[in-house]
Amino acid sequence: MLVTKNLVPGESVYGEKRISIEGGVDGTKVEYRVWNPFRSKLAAGVLGGLDNIYIKPGAKVLYLGAASGTSVSHVADIVGPEGTVYAVEFSPRSGRDLINMAKKRTNVIPIVEDARLPNRYRMLLSIVDVIFADVAQPDQARIVVYNAQYFLKDGGHCVVSIKASCIDSTAPPDTVFAGEVEKLREGQFKPLEQVTLEPYERDHAMVSAVYQRHVKHN
Amino acid sequence: MATHLLFESSSGYAVFEVKLAEDIGSKSREMQDSIKDLGKFGKMVSLVSFSPFKTAAQALENINDISEGVLNESLQNLLELNLSKTSKKSKVVLGIADPILGKSIKDGLGFGVDASEKTQDLIRGIRLHASKLLTGLQTDDLKKAQLGLGHSYSRAKLKFNVNRIDNMII
Repeated sequence: MLVTKNLVPGESVYGEKRISIEGGVDGTKVEYRVWNPFRSKLAAGVLGGLDNIYIKPGAKVLYLGAASGTSVSHVADIVGPEGTVYAVEFSPRSGRDLINMAKKRTNVIPIVEDARLPNRYRMLLSIVDVIFADVAQPDQARIVVYNAQYFLKDGGHCVVSIKASCIDSTAPPDTVFAGEVEKLREGQFKPLEQVTLEPYERDHAMVSAVYQRHVKHN
Repeated sequence: MATHLLFESSSGYAVFEVKLAEDIGSKSREMQDSIKDLGKFGKMVSLVSFSPFKTAAQALENINDISEGVLNESLQNLLELNLSKTSKKSKVVLGIADPILGKSIKDGLGFGVDASEKTQDLIRGIRLHASKLLTGLQTDDLKKAQLGLGHSYSRAKLKFNVNRIDNMII
């Protein structure tokens, strides 16, 4: 079972189960929240075998496609109080839930804005260590590359969830995945890992890559 | 090539002077490594002025204008104050992140503007080292400013949403 250490003990974000175990400071308990791979693609990627998601304590993460913030809350647990999650979501309806989640997790900076227009939110960001993207748009790879040009450190990483039918519903998924990886490569990313999100999601892949701003890859 | 740089942050506006950024291609490994190294990067740019926002309302007003590429009065005054005093023989070229704001600045103030890749790399360097380069900021100030402004900017987006079905008043 996958869990994250609850940054706000005593509360669930979206009705997920919590587990307390002994082992905290001075005999207190430590609380974890269950991270469901059927509800979070990043969790599915971890259980699907990604060796590294580069999201770790203290990291700065730009999260594109934050939706209502359920997965973002787990990322916030992982980076902890010293880290920061810049959570971008365009839909006002999801954005409202995202803002409410962020009220209790002050390491999450909610940004209700279009991820295609990083210039619009440049005032809110520092340079980040990782970009995670789950925007389910046909031009997702371009969106990641564009955000990386402004905000991702040289040598930083991206982790991208790819839904084949969002890019091209007529081509075989493997062809679609290869095409997206190629677009990342052209955007100065060097691909590192690719896993399928089966059995949690159909025709999805998750790809990780490292940003090499000093080298041209084409 | 840019002689100066504008950096817009959640805490306020900063103007930098470009001191040393010769012809090394910005995509070379040496250049990228120098940008990462605060000691070396600190020799490439120097802070001319940092003007913190005085209130949360002022910060929100400014991010709304900046995100639309609008040159408002406070930025206009700041740029005039800091760039007009430089020697006239060397013409000012202001490096900016957003070409749309660049056009507004060029039309409004007559400065040359530059949004080339090299400028973007220098702005990336400022973004990386911002909390050290912007004098007067404490370690956590920038993060706090980002948090506050992120919430107010996003809340305002919901309030002014024209799609009323999404706009339930609670």
